[in-house]
Amino acid sequence: MPHTLDRRRLLATAALGGVVGATGLGSLAPDAAFAAGPATVEPGAPDPNFVEGRISKISGHLLLVTGSDTVLHSIRITDGTSIWKLHPTTFDQVAIGDGLYARGVRLPDGTLAADSVWVNIVNLHAHIAAVGRNLLHLDHKGQRIVAHVVPGRSAAVYNGTPAISDLSLLRVGRHVQVLGAWHPDTNEIDIATVYAAA
Amino acid sequence: MAAIRGEVSWFCCGTAWGPCGTAGGGACGTCRSGNYQHAWPNTSDACWAITHPDTCGLSMSRRTCGFRHYTTNLCNGARVGTTIADCGPQTDLFCGERTCCGSACGSNRIIDLTPAAFSAIGSLSVGLRPCSVDTV
Repeated sequence: MPHTLDRRRLLATAALGGVVGATGLGSLAPDAAFAAGPATVEPGAPDPNFVEGRISKISGHLLLVTGSDTVLHSIRITDGTSIWKLHPTTFDQVAIGDGLYARGVRLPDGTLAADSVWVNIVNLHAHIAAVGRNLLHLDHKGQRIVAHVVPGRSAAVYNGTPAISDLSLLRVGRHVQVLGAWHPDTNEIDIATVYAAA
Repeated sequence: MAAIRGEVSWFCCGTAWGPCGTAGGGACGTCRSGNYQHAWPNTSDACWAITHPDTCGLSMSRRTCGFRHYTTNLCNGARVGTTIADCGPQTDLFCGERTCCGSACGSNRIIDLTPAAFSAIGSLSVGLRPCSVDTV
């Protein structure tokens, strides 16, 4: 199957050459892309091809990231890197101060050539404490978090049903999983998908 | 253990940014978002009392910190091995929930992976996938 090509190896090779053809890498369906390449990391161990942290500097197409464990990382963004920030987006939407998770392949100099970067992504388990106009107040581990409904983007999945844009069925007290994008300046989030229990 | 089929999601733990900053090291004290680890609903009596997979008709084996499971994303066949580092997911809160990729479906939340582990078999932006979990 053509989609099972080793995307990461191809990306790394291309990144080392300095040029990546977007049309050669950008068309893979998400699950097909992640099917490529067996995981060789020992269970329980850190994955050297994965980075988490906050962006401290942007230099050209290089992100300098400070890990939450204070380790510094360099991440190279190529034409083939998929970037998510509430929705699939472009490199110019990435900002200093953003949090991220990134997956790719390590180059010989230690830089991570990114296959995928998820910017400010959060996946919270919470209870709905209050419902306002186009927002939810969430109780997440004892903290209140404001979650904004983004017209045209936010969707709800009610106990496994197909995602719909109508969030009006969400009720105070219900348990939800909220996939969204964090705002570093306010600590609020925008909702991508809210999964609601029955 | 025969493979069990259900749903897999992801969670953050360890030192982290944003709302994840309060997550901590999980029930085992060792959980890190960048490690190949997972949460399991039956790590102890106290854990079981929170997650109650039996409410959904599931009888999941008792496994403790460090035990290895292998999770397969039924949407693409990708597989990752991880060790238990936390208690979860809260299976009983989503009883009967069903996720499918075409004809490949999973019902009920049986495992949560760290971002490093989940992103090895699927995109973090998807958030929920049908899966099978086994021990070999």
